[in-house]
Amino acid sequence: MPKFVVYYVKYVDYLSTKLGRATMYSIFIMIGVLLLGAITRNILNMPLSWTIEMAQFLLTGYYIVGGAYSMQLGDHVRMDLVYDLFSEKNKAKIDVCTNIFLVLYLIALLIGSISSTMYAIEYGERKFSQWNPSMIPIKLIMVAGIFLMLLQAVSTFFKDLAKARGITIS
Amino acid sequence: MSYEAIAIVMSGGMLVMLLTGQRIFAAIGFVSAAAALGLYGTGAIELPFNAAFKLFNWYPMLTLPLFVYMGYILSESGIADDLYGMFHVWFGNLRGGLAIGTIGLMVVISAMNGLSVAGMAIGATIALPEMLRRKYDKVMITGVVQAGSSLGILVPPSVVLVLYGMIARQPVGRLWLAGVVPGLMMAGLFIIYIVIRCKLQPHLAPVVSKEELDMPFTEKLKLLKAGIIPFLIFFFMTGLFIMGVTSLVESSAVGATAATIAAIAKGTLNKKVIEESIRKTLGISCMFMWIILAALCFGAVFDGLGAVKALESLFITRWELTPWQVLVMMQLSYIVMGMFLDDTAMLVIVAPLYVPLIVSLGFNPIWYGILYTITCQIAYMTPPFGYNLFLMRAMAPPEITLKDIYVSIVPFVLVMIFALLLIIIFPQIALWLPDLVYNRG
Repeated sequence: MPKFVVYYVKYVDYLSTKLGRATMYSIFIMIGVLLLGAITRNILNMPLSWTIEMAQFLLTGYYIVGGAYSMQLGDHVRMDLVYDLFSEKNKAKIDVCTNIFLVLYLIALLIGSISSTMYAIEYGERKFSQWNPSMIPIKLIMVAGIFLMLLQAVSTFFKDLAKARGITIS
Repeated sequence: MSYEAIAIVMSGGMLVMLLTGQRIFAAIGFVSAAAALGLYGTGAIELPFNAAFKLFNWYPMLTLPLFVYMGYILSESGIADDLYGMFHVWFGNLRGGLAIGTIGLMVVISAMNGLSVAGMAIGATIALPEMLRRKYDKVMITGVVQAGSSLGILVPPSVVLVLYGMIARQPVGRLWLAGVVPGLMMAGLFIIYIVIRCKLQPHLAPVVSKEELDMPFTEKLKLLKAGIIPFLIFFFMTGLFIMGVTSLVESSAVGATAATIAAIAKGTLNKKVIEESIRKTLGISCMFMWIILAALCFGAVFDGLGAVKALESLFITRWELTPWQVLVMMQLSYIVMGMFLDDTAMLVIVAPLYVPLIVSLGFNPIWYGILYTITCQIAYMTPPFGYNLFLMRAMAPPEITLKDIYVSIVPFVLVMIFALLLIIIFPQIALWLPDLVYNRG
């Protein structure tokens, strides 16, 4: 494979792994924020209005940014009734073809997320609630996460291509 | 193109895409995005994201990663081993006792967790090897673990009922309570089936030797201690939620914390267990969330076509079905669609079509939620798609073949269909408890 492809795969996989592993720990922050809400309301009698929304933002970041890492690890299920009949090499060949659809879907998501973020920035979109937080940060995170997923999908495409030709990279 | 033709082209396209073995979320996402562009032109390029953004507002889905996390902590921490030991000794001297005990174990796990993943992991790694060692019939016990763990989504808490509650705009507390009696009833039916089967074919389940179970009665009582932790977790999580102390998502955080504390108290929690648990949690949560993301896009395209109205006119005006016939048609269509579509995606796509129809026909949406959940249990267990099947294959000991897994579910699916019929005929099985709790004052 050309050198830039090898480097691309290496760096994108590295980036997804690092961000994914960091995201993985945010589940403890979600738990903490929710507990904080339950405790302040019931025990300290001092309800906080932002805890559930905060957890909601965290959850969105969790699955959007963690998506690339989970794809790298092969956690996304496939229907393998037919797929499983093929050899590893032929599976890679099939994937090379169908990964194009994955990439196209992610491009559509990316375009939509960018336009939604532009709207949020232009009109200073806020979440309609007592806390009334800005929607710009979460939308930027979503754009970044979807972009990362796209980078990872292309990296996966290269890896499958290499595998289909009988070589391994990364 | 007529509505039916578009629906057929979309479904057919998706089936072909899925058969290629591409990731399920990508297959669904691509077909829906392509359909949106084809139907509405380039302006629809933003539809996939806007549909996906709906998931942002579905914050009750926070329960999903928290329950997955909790399930892993419970299965890694050894709490489940103690529970298994308890059921083993107390039921071991019955014929088929270990299988009955496994159903009991699954009910307890289900009461602590809202997914079937936890029960599956615990059943496949703890109960299955033990029963295999004692020469229980492998096909029967594989079915026991799959059927038992599927109770996870019926016995509260339940993520499927959370998802249904959001789509149908019904209170989750009522839905969870409605699942209690049907869940216990189904567990009871499984046990009756096991008892009868073992009576007729005693070779399927050899009796555990007397010596092994022989211990002083006080020792036996001590084993019951294993039941305390699950009870506490159930109380703090579901109990506080039903009493209105914690909100839904808070209750799942309480449950996750309680499970973590229990694991720390048992001294089984180390860095490796935590890392492994949260990594798998991220993987499974992302997989489900991305499937839902893509399915929301599919649902949005279907909705744009006026699918609810089309379905209503097809069932009521064109076919002149009575409300009960419509209900039966819906349940049957789930099973047929389950053969072409991923089960999680099906929940997201089909429920918005059926729930308005159910309400307009005068059926109770809480009761329908239970029917929907049982149908899901069946769908998750039956090929070709079926998340439980997939997990079972990954987790079961190697001597259990794919054929064993497929054959094993047949009797249990029949029992589930029987339970479904009972609840259709006697809605009070589901509705009695929520009515009792919420209509007191």
